[in-house]
Amino acid sequence: MMRSIQRTFPLFVTALLLAVAIVQLTIGYGEVRQASRSVTDTRLRFVDSVLVDLFQSGQQRGRVTALAKDSDVVAFLRSGGQRGREQALAALRRITLDTASNARLELRDFSGRLLLSTGRFAFGDSVLVSPGTDSARFGPLQRRDTVLFFGVAAATIGTERSASGERSGGIVQQVARLQLNERTRRFLTGLSGGDMAFLFGNAAGDPWTDFASIVSAPPANVRNSPRPTRYERGEAQRAIAMAVPGTPWMVATEVPTRLIVAPAQAYLLTMAPFAALIVIIGTLAAWWGSRRLTAPLVGVTQAAEAIATGDLTQRVPVGRDDELGKLARSFNTMAEQVSRSHHHLEAQVAQRTKALEGTNAELESFSYSVSHDLRAPLRAIHGFARILLEDHHAQLDPEAQRLLGVIDQNTRRMGQLIDDLLAFSRLGRTDLATGPVDMKELTQLVADEVQRTEAGRNGSLEIRIDPLPAARGDRGLLRQVMSNLLLNAAKFTRDRPSAKIEVGSQADGGQTVYYVKDNGAGFDARYADKLFGVFQRLHSTEQFDGTGVGLAIVKRIVQRHGGRVWAEGAVNQGATFYFTLPGEER
Amino acid sequence: MQPKGVEILLVEDNANDAELTLRALKQRNLANQVFLCHDGAEAMEFFADGASPVPKVVLLDLKLPKVDGLEVLRRLKNDNRTKTIPIVVLTSSREEPDIERAYALGANSYIVKPVDFDAFARAVSDVGLYWLLLNHPPQ
Repeated sequence: MMRSIQRTFPLFVTALLLAVAIVQLTIGYGEVRQASRSVTDTRLRFVDSVLVDLFQSGQQRGRVTALAKDSDVVAFLRSGGQRGREQALAALRRITLDTASNARLELRDFSGRLLLSTGRFAFGDSVLVSPGTDSARFGPLQRRDTVLFFGVAAATIGTERSASGERSGGIVQQVARLQLNERTRRFLTGLSGGDMAFLFGNAAGDPWTDFASIVSAPPANVRNSPRPTRYERGEAQRAIAMAVPGTPWMVATEVPTRLIVAPAQAYLLTMAPFAALIVIIGTLAAWWGSRRLTAPLVGVTQAAEAIATGDLTQRVPVGRDDELGKLARSFNTMAEQVSRSHHHLEAQVAQRTKALEGTNAELESFSYSVSHDLRAPLRAIHGFARILLEDHHAQLDPEAQRLLGVIDQNTRRMGQLIDDLLAFSRLGRTDLATGPVDMKELTQLVADEVQRTEAGRNGSLEIRIDPLPAARGDRGLLRQVMSNLLLNAAKFTRDRPSAKIEVGSQADGGQTVYYVKDNGAGFDARYADKLFGVFQRLHSTEQFDGTGVGLAIVKRIVQRHGGRVWAEGAVNQGATFYFTLPGEER
Repeated sequence: MQPKGVEILLVEDNANDAELTLRALKQRNLANQVFLCHDGAEAMEFFADGASPVPKVVLLDLKLPKVDGLEVLRRLKNDNRTKTIPIVVLTSSREEPDIERAYALGANSYIVKPVDFDAFARAVSDVGLYWLLLNHPPQ
């Protein structure tokens, strides 16, 4: 398929637009996702810190700290629970009224024995957390079945020691239940916009809660890292955990990563149709533009092709005033000139042809004259010399008879020369009747003929014919080539006791090289180029007869077939004649 | 001169060729009733009055003064009275176009005159023998 600007240009523009669109969408997607992630991280941190503040500044701590310093409670604990029981209980009740169902306040001695308590929430019978002395301390979140609770405790320490060495005083402890319900969770989530989950638990691990139910703790890598970390909870989550200072607790907030990439996906969904639209519009514009650009070129191309095939009347319409218009004008000028010089050439060719035809006609009448007019006197010379010999034999002395014999010989030879010359000149004028030629069969025929004509020779004559590829040519003329070469070879081996002629071939590109090799008299390689000239002979007539036209005829026939002839040889070492012919196409 | 019993009409402008032809015919004893025309016009005259005896064969050269051999051939072969007379073209030309045209016009034979006298004599006498003795023309 031909490369066409009309096709490749729109393709190129489309590819370019597509690449730009893809890069733009990819970068946009990445940036939106990055922005979304960064906003999310900021929110996660913010919410974390709000939660931390919330848990840090819990009221319980203040209350328990205050209670541990209350004079009634201090007095009760210092007395080892012996005195001031009513006053201490009143102090406890002042505080526990509002949380009675979810918490319980306890007063214990340092061994953990319960001295006094208020509130209904009770779990276990021990100090849950080692109490702080200056302010209350929070204990870790604990779990029993589905209930989460924690302790907060402070110690009241007396100044004197008992007899057993124990310090006087005791522990104020509040045990509080963490209220878990869906409302709390939803409320908290709602504060953040609804997409985040808040988790609360121990920095060391379970239990954890999302404020509605107990959940498994985030993995250690989330809990131990100050940075946003990705992990799986049902789906991929992005989470930040933050320890609540002064407590064993930790809060974590997390967002499904799905929600983070959602804006980027929304961006893609919004922008992709626009990008597609731009690519389509760009493609159409490029297609239209390239058609507009190349249409005049197509016109010029078609006209040029028409001119190339010979229609010199083709012109291109000049409808524009730009570079393309200029091209069309230049093209038309060129076509005009080509047409003019073509006509000039045609006229010249016609003139030359006429002249050639004249020359040819002259040549023909010349050969006719040679054929007719030269032979007639020659025939008369020969005829009358013979009559003289036949009818007046008695009156002629031997020398006169010998001289008449010389006349006889030379007129015969002259006749042969004329015949050969005419045959040679005819070769240039007759048309080739081209067809496939079986060279092996043809050579065999000629060889048999040569064997017959050479039947009377002194030595033996062996003609070996290798398998020969078929050729394409005029069978009659090729037969003459083979005949002339074999007769030639036979002639120049006549003085050999065992003459050998070998006919073979070798491939040479698309052509076949045929050769005829003999072991005869050979020739002086210096004169090899003279072998194929008309009437050129390298041996005297006394040595070998002949007019010197045979090889000239071979050369002319081979040349008319588009082939070459050449010869190799050395004196007394035989000769090889080569000729090439186009092969027979299969 | 109106010959009687002409068997061979020889149309030949070259006196030497004519002499050699006659000699060759004579050697075979075929020269008794030969009539010689020196050009095409003479040949046409020979047949013009209808009274001339019909030769058994015409030996016709091609290159002739006035009316050339091919023209003579054409006219004889186009004439109902003469078209059955065998015409042997006896010429020096061995040009293919001449041979083709001669046969196309109805020549019965085309003989190239050899330069070699022996061959020439053999050809002429063979032609004479064939057309005079062996050939049977329609009655």
